[in-house]
Amino acid sequence: MMLVIGILTMVAVYIVQRNAVADAERDLQQEFRSALTSLDRAEEARHQVLAERCRSLVLKPRLHAALEDNALDLLYPSAKDELRDLLRSGEPNSDPSALTLPATFYRFLNASGSVISPPNPAEVGRLSAADESQITLAKLPTNTQIGYFFRSSRDRGEIIDEIITLPIYSTETGEVISALVVGFEPLQLRAKESKMRSGIWINGRLSLPALSAPAVEALSHDLGAQILRGTAERNNFTISLDGSPHLLFFRILNPQSMFPPAYEVCIYSLQNATARRRKLQAQIVGAGIGLLALGFLASHFAAGRLSRPVEKLAIESEANLAGRERAEATLATTSQELKRSSRFSADASHQLKSPVTVLRVGIESLLARNDFDAPVYDELSSLLHQTYRLTGVIDDLLLLSRMDAGRLSIDFSSVDLTELVNEWLDDLSALPDSMDVQIEKKVSPGLHVAGEKRYTSLIVQNLIENARKYNRPGGRIRVATRRRREGVALSIGNTGSTIPPAAQEHIFERFNRGGAGGNVAGHGLGLNLACELALLHGGELRLVSSANDWTEFEVSFQVPSQRQNGAGSA
Amino acid sequence: MTIRCFLGVVLICGVAWQSSRGQAVVEGRVELPKKRSAPVVTQRYEIVSKGGVLSPSPPVAVVYLEGAFGKPASLATKQVAQKNLIFDPGLLPVQSGTRVEFPNLDDTYHNIFSYSPAKRFDLGRYRPDERPIPSEVFDTPGLVTLRCDIHEHMRALILVLDTPYFVTTDSNGRFRLNGLPSGHYTVKAWLDSRTTREQPVDLKSGAVVHLDFP
Repeated sequence: MMLVIGILTMVAVYIVQRNAVADAERDLQQEFRSALTSLDRAEEARHQVLAERCRSLVLKPRLHAALEDNALDLLYPSAKDELRDLLRSGEPNSDPSALTLPATFYRFLNASGSVISPPNPAEVGRLSAADESQITLAKLPTNTQIGYFFRSSRDRGEIIDEIITLPIYSTETGEVISALVVGFEPLQLRAKESKMRSGIWINGRLSLPALSAPAVEALSHDLGAQILRGTAERNNFTISLDGSPHLLFFRILNPQSMFPPAYEVCIYSLQNATARRRKLQAQIVGAGIGLLALGFLASHFAAGRLSRPVEKLAIESEANLAGRERAEATLATTSQELKRSSRFSADASHQLKSPVTVLRVGIESLLARNDFDAPVYDELSSLLHQTYRLTGVIDDLLLLSRMDAGRLSIDFSSVDLTELVNEWLDDLSALPDSMDVQIEKKVSPGLHVAGEKRYTSLIVQNLIENARKYNRPGGRIRVATRRRREGVALSIGNTGSTIPPAAQEHIFERFNRGGAGGNVAGHGLGLNLACELALLHGGELRLVSSANDWTEFEVSFQVPSQRQNGAGSA
Repeated sequence: MTIRCFLGVVLICGVAWQSSRGQAVVEGRVELPKKRSAPVVTQRYEIVSKGGVLSPSPPVAVVYLEGAFGKPASLATKQVAQKNLIFDPGLLPVQSGTRVEFPNLDDTYHNIFSYSPAKRFDLGRYRPDERPIPSEVFDTPGLVTLRCDIHEHMRALILVLDTPYFVTTDSNGRFRLNGLPSGHYTVKAWLDSRTTREQPVDLKSGAVVHLDFP
């Protein structure tokens, strides 16, 4: 009897333990896979955003003039103006989800693929002769090329640059005449965000800052052998690093590139997982031994009551296991939720923008055909216009979602409100469809407010555009500023149909258009965005009145402090 | 008095007849390059162009008589307009020393500039009501590429020539150069920045020479 109980207990312990180990491994694989998918998506979205930005730059007329009209002396001076926003050197990347990633350097390549030397390297990002030879290509590319290379930076030691190279086509002959190479800091996982650590392997060298130098060297060697052997673009294996097991995964970052192949290397420590598994095994085995011991004890006392305590213990052990599994599953879900929210912006930008980009490219290629009737081109052009509108809505929604997540902070400096208002009014009058609207301006000169220029500008733009959109032909727009004791108030009023009293309290809500007719362009985000931005600026946006053919909004701003004044004028 | 008047009229007619009899003509045809597929334009904000440019007319060539001829005291002012977001004309031959005006006929800003060695200038952003109409004098012979800083698909060419004898072909490549002096010269056909064809020609007063540029 005792032998039978002993054998049965051991079999039960073995089965429970085997299932527990399989479950733990499955969970681990799932966690790893979800982390990798997030990383893949972030990379893909980033490449699309970077390529899109660079693509608009290579069309700039001044760059074409310098390259095509034999004026290379004006190439970099012209590029300096055009690429000013791209290269914000010295400023750390404060917001990881921001779409405005600062470039670290840029260069142009000549017809033979060599770097055209800049007259003042400090303005375009310094590179040594060796670095420049790494971005040189054997011939000019005909499509976007992505590459990675090591270089030594004076203040940060050895770093890796991610480079995007775009061909520049002649406007006269349509041939590739040059290429723009832009360097960016590569995407890196932060150790705090994830248990996964990532690095980059290029030409036998590995950069993985999270690991010690000897470990990197050993790993680099192993990887080289694996990459040389492997033909698949994805691969993974288990390795031992600093005495603990790790799951390693590598993937080519720039397939079919003219630059040397670079591999992304992700390692995931199995130490915790192994410890957890060992603990689980020990608990199960312990429970089994306890069970056996109790069984033996019980058999000494009462053979007839043998089965009862065994059953009770087995149930308890199962309950423990189930509870632990539940807790682990909850933990995994929470951690995934956290990761998901922190990557929202990148994912959303990818998910929303890439279909629009695909749509636009499709319409553009249809427009490039010449076998349609004229009305078809008009239709296609208006569809194309809609894709630009859609991009505008997505940008607004992303900005709002970043505000909702509390991830938008205003970098206060002194902003020239008078200049902003004048610029937007200027643009307004340059629009071809303006409805003979008379503009009345009572703006004090040199009025400065505290804010961040791009967001302050967005508030002013939204209000002025609304005043135009909801106006009537032959109407009037009045823009006026007032100094107050605690700040500055900007009021923008317009003639035209008013907002019904019942709708007034809802106009700052999203997708609310204040009873506007369907013939007015817009998507109902502008006022909400302006209102939220005004609050972030320490001011407020309110509707002053909307009656008798007159609607007036007022937004208040704070005056800049002494320190912000200094920052604004610098 | 009457006799003097009569003699004057006879003299003027005689000179006119003599000069018309003394002028040579060159006519013929230039084989034009095929037109590249044109990008599509919409009249509002978005211009669909994949690095292409828009031109109001199909490609044409400029045919001119090369040689050292005197410059007239004054040259007529020419114009390259910006209309419907296109330069019009897309190719303008002028004699060196000519002033060219760049009127903006669109209801948006334009910013005309050139980096060409023959003439570097930048007119800055300006609107249709800008007076006087922005203009430049083109003194150095050569090719000047005009571009608009705001609209990347806009591009036009000004071919600055030393000679007063030049003509733009029609869209089939046909041309006729009138009022040429007698003598031994070279006739050139400019097709694009990389292609200029040339042929020697002997001009005799009153003769019509047929020249084709295959």
